Amino acid sequence: MDLSLLLQAITSGLLSSGLYALVAIGLALAIGVIGIVNFAHGEFFMIGAFLTYQLAVSLGFDPLLSILVVAPLLFLLGAFLYRTTVHYVLGAPELNQMLLTFGLGIILQNLALLVWGGDPRTVPSIPYRSLSFNIGDVTVGAVMLGSFVISMLLVLGLYWLLYRTPLGRGMRAVAQSRIGASLVGLNVDRTYLVTFAVSAALAGIGGVMIAVIQSPSPTVGLTFTLKAFAIVVLAGLGNIRGIIWASVLVALAESLIANLVPNGDSLRNAVFFSIIFLVLILRGRRPA
Amino acid sequence: MKKVLATFAALALTAALAQPVQIGILSPLTGGAAGTGQAQLAGFQLALEEINAAGGVLGEDLEIIVEDTQANVAVGLAAFEKLMTEDGVEIIAGGYSSGVPLGLVESFRTFQPLVTWIGGASSGIGLDDFDGIEELLGEEPWFFHIHPWDYQNTEASTGFIASTGASAVAVLHEDSAFGGPGGAAAQQLVIDAGMASPLRESFTSTLFGGTGDFRAAINRAKASDADMLYWIGYDGDVVPMASQIRELDYRPQYIFGAPPGWPAEFAQSPEAECVTGLIGYLPNLPNPEAIQFRDAYVAMHNSEPNNYMAALAYANLWALADAINAAGTTEQSAVAAELESGTFTSPMGDWSFSQSVLSPRQGFGAEMWLVFQYQGGVQEIVYPAHLATAPLATCN
Repeated sequence: MDLSLLLQAITSGLLSSGLYALVAIGLALAIGVIGIVNFAHGEFFMIGAFLTYQLAVSLGFDPLLSILVVAPLLFLLGAFLYRTTVHYVLGAPELNQMLLTFGLGIILQNLALLVWGGDPRTVPSIPYRSLSFNIGDVTVGAVMLGSFVISMLLVLGLYWLLYRTPLGRGMRAVAQSRIGASLVGLNVDRTYLVTFAVSAALAGIGGVMIAVIQSPSPTVGLTFTLKAFAIVVLAGLGNIRGIIWASVLVALAESLIANLVPNGDSLRNAVFFSIIFLVLILRGRRPA
Repeated sequence: MKKVLATFAALALTAALAQPVQIGILSPLTGGAAGTGQAQLAGFQLALEEINAAGGVLGEDLEIIVEDTQANVAVGLAAFEKLMTEDGVEIIAGGYSSGVPLGLVESFRTFQPLVTWIGGASSGIGLDDFDGIEELLGEEPWFFHIHPWDYQNTEASTGFIASTGASAVAVLHEDSAFGGPGGAAAQQLVIDAGMASPLRESFTSTLFGGTGDFRAAINRAKASDADMLYWIGYDGDVVPMASQIRELDYRPQYIFGAPPGWPAEFAQSPEAECVTGLIGYLPNLPNPEAIQFRDAYVAMHNSEPNNYMAALAYANLWALADAINAAGTTEQSAVAAELESGTFTSPMGDWSFSQSVLSPRQGFGAEMWLVFQYQGGVQEIVYPAHLATAPLATCN
């Protein structure tokens, strides 16, 4: 086997895992803390991508700079949607919660269609979109590296928030027991609101990155959300710590297949979901 | 009493006869192909306004009933059956995507409306293990196809490729019913034209669940040393494909893409420079019909018709209106006969239905295609030579 090809595949896989982890961890947060499966997560991602596009074409914002605007806006959007919709179904059956978030997703997608149309858009004039450098025979794209570094910083920052701050401890307490947390004086509803808003903000930042890499369109979030769901399942529902490793595993597997097997790019999704199936089967066979 | 009844009967008959003609439109208005669907809708709306301003169809205003397929077979099937059973239309226009008409074949055969389909290039011709649209529907007397077939697309592409003097062509194609057969046919035609094709590699389009990371496929093309990269994919693949070619420092003489549309603002990206593309219509086409279409489109929609599907939809509805008026009825065989024998106008010039490999009702062929090149932020026509607005430049 060509060693440089193998190294290229491993490098590409590792760099891709950052974005996967960023999108998945927001979803895991909503599932783990609030206990709600948010089918509109991909639409937060999509709105983030379109806001980046709009800031670039209307105000000339560089996408990196637009993170500073998009993240707070998505935080506010998440908080608003939590307060006006999600809040009211927390005690409802899970199916109702899913239907609500699914509906929110459709509304956001169609709003984007109304505002920006169905054509894929381009954030023009990004000077670093095609930049790369070589380490030996391995090519590292600046955008992929940047997206990996930013994603990992955010994911590690979230870990710090969860495990080193009172707010994070509150989130974990609420995740363990809503009633218990409430009995010791935690404001459960506020914790949920902040959690949902942080989840939306993380998805929005993922959207900023995808606006650089691809074309914003109303359905751009779908693929990454599907992968995020699979990573969350692989890590174990609600297991936020496992997200990084699950992301690295699936991204590496995808990249190895794509780079080492002829026509392997077409097998990426098959490999991705095969791993998920395998883990689910193995997990199901494990004695309780 | 008999007189009164007869009067009522005559009035009822007149009212029934005066019913406006309704045409059912199937188009992907939402979902991943919404850009194309919205462009089609814009073309239909412009044609509808012009047709009705010119007196309508059979003396009444023409009506269209638009249904969203999302470029999804299940949604398209439900939309088609709703048009057939609930709305009772007898004529279908619109289209896009090969998957939808392939999924609708049995339902088309059940209801047998007059179908004029403006997408779905997957013919199946030359492929042993795949039944395409032309093979399944091309010989049905009620099926009219208004878009070049995949082999006509590749014929046009290969004509351009041969004209560049490229010696080796790497073919990358997305792996659905659109790109798969198209990629295979393109490679064969390139070889038949005397050029080498050292690579044919598939990828998953962003339209069908791909993440837009095409680096593995591009790296293979780079390793093949081909001096032309020819790729077949969708609109959403354009930006990642172009930027990753530069990122990986792959420098072929020519980068030639064949997606159905090109993303808005891509022309302003540095990655666009020297990229060439196959397209059915461009706003800078010099013929009078194209200029008239562009001006009317801009007046109605406040934007230029940047997706050729708008022009095809416009041609589609005008052809139906002209055929129905010429037939003097909506009776299927009469309208079909007028469609088969008529010559219609379009932004691409005059056109008529003719024989393709299997279908005698094929509208537009390889001659519809133009090749443009992004040069300084403008889509300059570079092929065919008689329509060229600028000479072809190499990427190096």
